[in-house]
Order: sequence, then C-alpha cells, then structure tokens
Amino acid sequence: MSTFLVAVGVGLATAAILALSAVAFTLEYAVSRIANFAHGEFLTIGAYAAYSGQNISHQNVVAAAVIAAAAGMLAGLALNIGLIERFRGRSPISVFIATLGAALIVENVLIMIYGAANVSYTFAQGNLHHVGPFLWTTSDIEVIFSALAAAGLLYLLLQHTRFGKAIRAVAQDRTLAQVSGIPARAIVMRTWALAGAVSGFAGFILAETIGTFGPQLGFNFLLLTITATVAGGIGRPYATLGGALIVGLVIQISGAYTSSAYQNVFAFGLLVVLMLFRPNGVFVGRSMTAVRA
Amino acid sequence: MYWVSVFTEAGIFAILALGLDMVWGWGGDFDLAFYGYLALGSYMTFVLTIGRPTPPVEYILGWHLPVLLAVPIAVVVVVAFAAVIGSIALRNLREIYFAVLTLAAVSALYIWVENYTQLFDGYNGVYGLINPGQTTLRLTYNGYRIVLLGVVLVILLLAYLLVQRISRSPYGRMLRSVREDERAAAAYGRKIFTAKFRTYLFGAAIAGLAGGLFAIFVSAFNPSAWTPQELLVIYAAILVGGRGNPRGVIVGVFVVYVGLIELTRFLPSPASRPDFSPALRQVLIGLMIILMLKFRPEGIFRERPGRDEPGKPARPAIRQFRTRVAAATSRAARVSGSPLGSAPDEGGAG
Repeated sequence: MSTFLVAVGVGLATAAILALSAVAFTLEYAVSRIANFAHGEFLTIGAYAAYSGQNISHQNVVAAAVIAAAAGMLAGLALNIGLIERFRGRSPISVFIATLGAALIVENVLIMIYGAANVSYTFAQGNLHHVGPFLWTTSDIEVIFSALAAAGLLYLLLQHTRFGKAIRAVAQDRTLAQVSGIPARAIVMRTWALAGAVSGFAGFILAETIGTFGPQLGFNFLLLTITATVAGGIGRPYATLGGALIVGLVIQISGAYTSSAYQNVFAFGLLVVLMLFRPNGVFVGRSMTAVRA
Repeated sequence: MYWVSVFTEAGIFAILALGLDMVWGWGGDFDLAFYGYLALGSYMTFVLTIGRPTPPVEYILGWHLPVLLAVPIAVVVVVAFAAVIGSIALRNLREIYFAVLTLAAVSALYIWVENYTQLFDGYNGVYGLINPGQTTLRLTYNGYRIVLLGVVLVILLLAYLLVQRISRSPYGRMLRSVREDERAAAAYGRKIFTAKFRTYLFGAAIAGLAGGLFAIFVSAFNPSAWTPQELLVIYAAILVGGRGNPRGVIVGVFVVYVGLIELTRFLPSPASRPDFSPALRQVLIGLMIILMLKFRPEGIFRERPGRDEPGKPARPAIRQFRTRVAAATSRAARVSGSPLGSAPDEGGAG
C-alpha cells in the first residue's frame, strides 16, 4: 500500500509539471493549428537558462524560475516569428517537419554550448515530509504548488481577461477574429510568448525534480506531453490538465510496480490506445464512427 | 581507404533512403520508426552470426550462421515487426498522428533494447562481426573494404532499378493517387490500407537489408548508433534530392552525407569538446530541412508525373483534368480538412 501511495505522490508531482507543459503545447496548437515538435526544446532552454543563471541568482529558486520562464518566452517568440508565421498556409505536416528540424538545431546548439554530458543544479532538495498519506520532498511540494498556482493564473488569464478572450477567438477562427478587429497576429505572438514562458518554467521544475539533465531533457518529455494532450483532447486547455493527471499517475504507478526504466513505455502504450480509440480525448463521448478510408 | 569507407556508408544510407522514400514520398506517411528497422536488421544480423555470448555479455540466439543466410532472416524479422506497427498505425492514423505513433513505437523499442539486456546486451550493444568472408575470399583488409563498397553499390543499383520499376508501374501510380487524395482513390475502388501496408512492409524490408549491410560495415552496434534523430539526416537527404524521385533521393544522400562530412571535417574541433563538430553537423541538417521546406519543397529533382505509356508524357487533357481535380480537392480540404490529418473520430462528416 505504501508503495502505491508514494507512487501516487510522485505521480502528482509529475502530473503538475506535465500539466504545464501540455497546456502550453495545446495553446500553441490552438492559435497556430500546428503540432510543435520543438515544444520540448522550450523546456530544455528553460532548464539550461536556470542552470546558467544559478550563480547570478545566488541559489535563489524564485529568481532561477523567473530566468527560466524569461528564456522560454524568448524561445517561444523566436520560434513563432522565425518559423511558424513564415510557414503559415503550408500543410500541417510540413510545418511539423520544420519544427522537428528546429528541435534538432536547438538541441545541438545547446550541446555546442554546454556539452552533451548531463548537468545538475545545486539547489537543496529539502527534507522528506509526510503530507497526509504521501511522501514528498520540499522541492516536490514547491513544484506541485507552483504548478497549481501557474495553472490557476492561466485559467484566470484565459477566462477573465480581454487577452484571454482574444486568444479564444483566434483559436476558433483566426480570419474571423481579424475582421472583428482583434489584432490576430499580435495575439498569436503573445500566446507563443506565454506558452514559451510556461514551458520554460516547466522545464526548470522538471530538471529540478529529476536532478540531472542533458540536452535531450525536453525532447524526451515531449512524447509524454503529447500523450497528456491527446488524453485531454488537443486544443482544450482545461481538459489537458485532466489528461496530465492521468498520464502522471499511470507512469509513476506502473514504474513503481515494474521498473522506472520502463515507465515511459506504459505512457506510449497509453498514447497508442488513446489515438486509436479516443483521439479526441477521454472526456468526450465518441462522436462518430471511425472512418476507414 | 577513407573515401571507400565514406562512400560505403553513403551507399547504405542511400538504400535506406530509397525504402523510406517509398513510405513517405509515394505513400505520404511520415514515418519516424524507420531508423528502428535499420537497427533491428543490424542487431539481428549480429546475433545470427557472431556465435554464443561470453558472460557477462548476453544476447538472444547467438547462432553461427553465414552472413548470406543471416541477412535474409534479419529482413524477415524486421518485416514481421513492421507488420505489427504498420497494421496499427496505417489503419486510420494519418500525417501527424501517424508520425507520433511511429515515434512512440520506436521510442518504446529503444527503451526496451537499452534496458532489457538479455535482448541485445543493452547499452553495451553487440559486436564481433569482423569482415565476414574475408578469409574465404582470400582478400586483404583493404581489398575486402573495396569489395564491400562494390557489393553495396551493386545492391544500391538493383534497389534503384526495382524501385524505379515499381514507381512507374500502375501500382506506383495508384499509391501516389492514394497520397494525393485518399477518399477519391477509395471511391475509385482502391484498397487504401492494403496499398499502404504493402508499401510499408516493402520499405521496412529495404531498411532491414540496409541494416544487415550496416552490421557488416561497422562490425559493432549499440543504442547510441540509432537515436531517433539519426533518421532526420535521411529525411533531409530526401528533401534535398527530391521527394518521390528515386534518382533524386540517391543524389540527395550523396550530396548531404558526403558534403556534410567534408564540410565539417576541416573545422577545428576543440580537444576539450569532442561533441562540438557532430553537434554542428546536426545543426546544419536542421537548417537544411527548414530551408528546403521553405524555399524548394520539391527538392533538386522534381517528382516525375505519372505516364500513360513509357516515354510519353501525360496527354494535355489528362493533365488539365488533374489540375482541376487537385484544385477542387485542395479547396475541399481547406473547408473540411482537419489540420492534424485524420484520426478515426475526425472527418466523419465526409
């Protein structure tokens, strides 16, 4: 029983990080209608920026988090301006391949700067705490609460500000939003900045939770992000949170009972099952029968 | 000898690219699992030829077959594995859903091979297939490498002729029609899944063969040799050469592969940073992919239009009809198409 509860506890921390990454991924999809395979690199950039900023920020976790988010935001803006907008109107698969190329570039530029070997932060992990039935380190608790706070802020932003309203309008129909007087291009750009910032922050807390990380950090996390996104239903930010919870629990619980090396295999299995039977997410009923062209 | 080795490797990758171009160029399926098939073919060739493992090294089988027998068996294993993935992925997942599923499949295979050491000795990998047949053929080491290059080039030529033949056959044209408009092709009675599935298996068989040749060429193989990123070099080569055009694909591989190696060979690589040069090479490949997609997505050599009779271009009326159909379908796709390609629950309105 205790194995199970510890796994659930770790699963919740994983789910919190996954939720942030997946919400950002789904926001990018919502405004630009593309699957961004360079999304994982936002996380990697955030993690490395915090690593570089460690000494400047004097081991201050909050300052490191801000640096990570800022770096992620710049990366999001750069990708949107340099690639996504320039490929507007092209078929989704060619934009997808282009983002894959961008991911390759970012990952290897990071190798050129930091080397291919793993690095690690020197922040204190803190002590173990028993919170209710769960066993968490101080940093686990920080991760969960900061992720919850970020998710809450995102909700307020999307639901109760003009900017959020504009994002939702652009996500529904960019042209219609444009003719209604919404500066669609600027909104898309700001959404990418927002998604980049959220991902950069997610990358920082992911790297801190894992302990050591390398240039592949984000790309390895990307398939989990996509699994969470598909589980929630792509393009639906709130359902994505539920998807992240499912995936986080599945990988940690399955990992606890088999071997942590194989936990991602369970997530990929889940992804395959979801794509075949529930491609619109687990929270909607099957709308129509499958088309076998 | 340096050049012999460069061209042998490029030749093997050209064979692989021909297979991948059938799946992506003609079938239109962006497959990210493809490098896994080369890896599996390589691993199988090793474990079928290098004999019993000596502890602590461990791997399955450990047979002592001659290479000429081992490679075909490896190809069969690869095709069987591809059949499992293909039968799941090709049934109703398309475009990005297909790409994500194949990436998930190859990642799962990768994790499995890396951690389950009984299979192919995990991270250490398998080794020991050193110049099979060298003594039988009574060759010197250098002579053997040159003969190997010749064998690779002959196989490349045969693969090219075969692929070119299929490309111009009714089957090749049918496949392209499926790529251009699946529903229209289905309406004309084409069996979409069967067509795509057969192509996928054929492509995987070529990848398995390339894997067998690769095993002979490198004589050691471990997980660091087949990270999913390796495949992007092949995609870059196909994009440069011309997707769907077998001749272009071969030229693309030689241009990208030989060109890149030569370009980055003379760069100073700091002794303290051995990762620098390979990383720079990957950056250039990423740039090449993006620039080709942006400015010349059809590549150096365009895909050739289908022909009614050998040597005669399509009749003007047919060409006109084709343009009109293409315009109409792209209009229709804009209206009803799902941006990420189709998944079972989407596009049901059609």
